[in-house]
Amino acid sequence: MKKFVLGLTAVMLAAPALAQQAPVPGWAVGRPEGSTLAPHAPRLTVTPLAEVPVGAIRLPPGFQAEVFAHGIPGARMMAEGPRGTIFAGSRAIGRVYAISRNPDGTTRTRIIAERLVQPNGIVVIGDSLYVLAANRVLRYDNIEANLDNVPAPVELTAAFALPTEQEHGGNHHWKFASVGPDGRIYTNVGVNCNICEFDRDKFALLVSFNPDGSGRRIEARGVRNSVGMAHHPVTRELWATNNGRDWAGNEWPNDTLHRVRQSGEDHGFPYCTAGDPDPQFNAGRNCGSFVKPAALLGPHTAALGMRFYTGTMFPEQYRNMAFIARRGSWNRDKLSGYDVVVAHTDAQGNVTRVEEFMTGFRDDANQRFHDRPVDVHVMRDGSLLVAGEQMGAIYRITYRR
Amino acid sequence: MRLRVTLAAVLVAAAFSLPAIARDPVRGAEIAAERCVACHGMDGRSSLAEIPRLAGQQSGFITLQMILFREGIRQVPAMQSSTEKLSDTDIEAVAAYYAGLPSAAPEDRTPRDAALMARGQAISAARNCGVCHLPTYAGRAQMPRLTHQHEGFLAHTMAEYRDGQRIGIDTQMNGAVQGLSNADIAALAHYLAHQD
Repeated sequence: MKKFVLGLTAVMLAAPALAQQAPVPGWAVGRPEGSTLAPHAPRLTVTPLAEVPVGAIRLPPGFQAEVFAHGIPGARMMAEGPRGTIFAGSRAIGRVYAISRNPDGTTRTRIIAERLVQPNGIVVIGDSLYVLAANRVLRYDNIEANLDNVPAPVELTAAFALPTEQEHGGNHHWKFASVGPDGRIYTNVGVNCNICEFDRDKFALLVSFNPDGSGRRIEARGVRNSVGMAHHPVTRELWATNNGRDWAGNEWPNDTLHRVRQSGEDHGFPYCTAGDPDPQFNAGRNCGSFVKPAALLGPHTAALGMRFYTGTMFPEQYRNMAFIARRGSWNRDKLSGYDVVVAHTDAQGNVTRVEEFMTGFRDDANQRFHDRPVDVHVMRDGSLLVAGEQMGAIYRITYRR
Repeated sequence: MRLRVTLAAVLVAAAFSLPAIARDPVRGAEIAAERCVACHGMDGRSSLAEIPRLAGQQSGFITLQMILFREGIRQVPAMQSSTEKLSDTDIEAVAAYYAGLPSAAPEDRTPRDAALMARGQAISAARNCGVCHLPTYAGRAQMPRLTHQHEGFLAHTMAEYRDGQRIGIDTQMNGAVQGLSNADIAALAHYLAHQD
């Protein structure tokens, strides 16, 4: 019993002992003896509408939440086609969904691709849907005209030449994807471990490509695993969320929000996180030499999908501000995240504050959660979609004066 | 200190709970009678070393694996046909049925081998098996019960994870058994199969 408490509270003391037990798998580096923390079980079955926890959602005055679509197990990252179809990727269940709105306001969901390995990265360019799975890059041309009879995709895997599943060793190989104002596809290459020494030209990167997979450019180095990025609508700079390492205590490190002013900047992982030296992998580096995050997003909150609010439905104070979905913690004794926050910026693009926007999914008293927000999407009418992965539901948030 | 440990354990366990969902074990038993019993045995107590025993298995684990079979993500031919066209509700019902059956050790379980038990115990401690599967190895949520399982099936499964032939809903198990020798796996399987 004593050992257990020691393990929970003195993570760094336990680490050297673990390091001697070769081989410690990458994800478990720093894991304290006796901890029972483990990833939460996903739900991959349909949640009936009556059990979708829309009633738990809390929003600022004037905002309302409704269920936009449900029965979409594992729904994650969203993108919208020119005809208004919402596409949603997934991880474990291997599906890509297409959600279209019926004239009466209800929605219809189709599975347009399945049996893929973690098809989490989704972008639409012109009439084509690009799917970045963990092991393949696929392009579905003229997709919205063919939702009932999806043609075979164009295989772009070799052109993108992203590190393979094997090279990742199962660590952080799922992708987020976004289209830049320059028409390029921006994505992440996560680190191939929890924390380790690795090839810094190959992993823990933000990268961009021409849509055909050519012209790879490193946008930022030393970003552990970003599963959310967007370009600022005014400054056109790339912003990205980032997931901090596990097994370094309940309060450290924070997940972070990154602003990339110049392609190729170094943001410090694994040596430093948010200006602090890593307790095991600092390697004598001066943390002042790395770009500091634009904002801290809380320890272990799993800050994922982010978009700048470019609509006009919400009050003026939200214009061009970053909405960020926080999926919620597992590597922390008390739950954190499970919400959507807004990073407010000033005219220079500096973050002035991060405030809660959509809450209510985290039940602090009982240490349970009702759903896990993983992405946000600004619709053309200015409403905001929030994908809830755990319950397979997409919520729509509107504002009325 | 004891109180703090107990509280922490309760909090962690609670986070995994799903909301109360209507799952019908009676319907699950009907489906099992049609599709499952030929291989997994009556009452979920398979007598075949290569077929897992399901009685008392975690419902979350069974549900997720059946979804992965049905979706073609985990490829075992016999299970793909057995899960074909099952609805999510049917799968949850089957999982509820098996989870509710009492688990028991195989009738033909071999006697304990002291050397294998000691070696398996040491490996389990080093690889933190009890962190996710709990110190009783009863499992929780998506992490399966290991007790009362066939020794041969446990060894087969761990070798598949080690050799990259199987991936769960994440790659935690692949990492956990990375680098184990066949003899390590045999000892670990023997140790785990003899927990009650």
